[in-house]
Amino acid sequence: MMNVWRAADELLRGRLVSTEQLRAGRLEVRGATLVTIGAVGGAVYGVAMGMFAALRPQHATALQMLANMAKVPLLFLLTLIVAFPSLYTFSALSGSKLHFVETLKLLLVAIAVNLVLLASFAPVTAFFTLSTTSYSFMVLLNTAFFALSGAVSLGVLSRALRAVFEQPAESTASAASPSVASSVAPSAPPNAAPVASPRSEQPAKKPSDTGSRRVFRAWLVIYALVGSQMAWILRPFIGADGLEFALFRPREGSFFRGVIDAIARFFGSA
Amino acid sequence: MNAAVDRLLRSEREFAVGAGASPLVALAWTVALAGAVHGLALGSYALRGEQALYSALKIPLLLAVSTALCIPSFFVLNTILGLRSDFSAALRGILCSQAVVAVVLASFAPIVLFLFASGLNYRSSLAASGVLFFAASMAGQRTLARHYRPLIAANPRHRAPRALWLLLYWFVTIQLAWVLRPFIGAPDLPPSFFREDAWTNAYVGIANSILGS
Repeated sequence: MMNVWRAADELLRGRLVSTEQLRAGRLEVRGATLVTIGAVGGAVYGVAMGMFAALRPQHATALQMLANMAKVPLLFLLTLIVAFPSLYTFSALSGSKLHFVETLKLLLVAIAVNLVLLASFAPVTAFFTLSTTSYSFMVLLNTAFFALSGAVSLGVLSRALRAVFEQPAESTASAASPSVASSVAPSAPPNAAPVASPRSEQPAKKPSDTGSRRVFRAWLVIYALVGSQMAWILRPFIGADGLEFALFRPREGSFFRGVIDAIARFFGSA
Repeated sequence: MNAAVDRLLRSEREFAVGAGASPLVALAWTVALAGAVHGLALGSYALRGEQALYSALKIPLLLAVSTALCIPSFFVLNTILGLRSDFSAALRGILCSQAVVAVVLASFAPIVLFLFASGLNYRSSLAASGVLFFAASMAGQRTLARHYRPLIAANPRHRAPRALWLLLYWFVTIQLAWVLRPFIGAPDLPPSFFREDAWTNAYVGIANSILGS
């Protein structure tokens, strides 16, 4: 336990994976360490998320918390399994220095950061769960925390990719590394186009920054789409009032439909 | 005590801007005592000792618990952004600003009593206490800004955790204040620590009242 704590700390401080390692294209951190950090972080948040089901007036059950301890980390792991082949293909197409295992490790780093940040929101989620009976409010709150921690981990990933694609000679371009916020912000609307474009690229000839940005955008779109739909498939995480505990719900609808419904319900009836 | 509060307001000596361990004991006492003064004033609305006592406990609780709930994510975000070496300075700013909020609230106690004595009705008293709390928070922001100025000058990335802090802190504090209600105590209700519907969600209530359903 103490070791996980220390490893997570090193990870957040950026010591597990240094910029030099990324530039050289080799990550020395062990995959198992990253998976363990992610599993613990996800389990912590899963418990906070599942408290709603334990406190609901009907069909109250602690099983949701137990299930979430596995489901939150699984959500990220399964997303990675589904998305990784295409993520790797795109980065290799753009001439990434990272090979198969290194790419996987880099993504695990981002996921572990994501889950640790998520775990740090657990006290706030728990507090709101104690004082909320509105299911749609909890859906929106949890979506916000997942989105926020996801955005921060994408910022970490984007910075890491810039180091990966950095050419030794022209390292001045990214000397003033912009903040996470600014590197995440521009990705929102214009990211539909680049998914199709990496094919037209001549690898390694272009300035390094465009390569890293192209990979990042492609990754962002693929990963976010797969991840949000995976979250939908693995639901329930919170457990709506009036429904009995189930490990999974029938396969129908989509994540986006669900969020829109939650917004409508929050402002509509309640 | 008085001299310590003065140093706190001016950010001097043990409360000075900079790194190093925060003077936790002094800050905790300040929040507890100053918060209690404001709480006593608020709870005296209907001249009920019991309510005054509860409110005196609840104002420090409000400030302390909302801070505690928000610190984990503040810490993690600071670390992710590579600002860990500055964390003690940032935390110092956060904790000192919370103590300043408490002190400013205490300094408002005479105003609260004056307003109550001038015959404000219950709804206006609620609104007035909200305005005063907002003003005290703004004063706390000044202290936080003072602590953050050198940090942001050294590394503009400090803006992100500070923004997250403000957002999350307000989001949590509004809900916690709702849970901890009543602070003033409606005169037609018996004095109480919690309302019967304490553990409900303020934002759901706001959404409902806006949409009038």
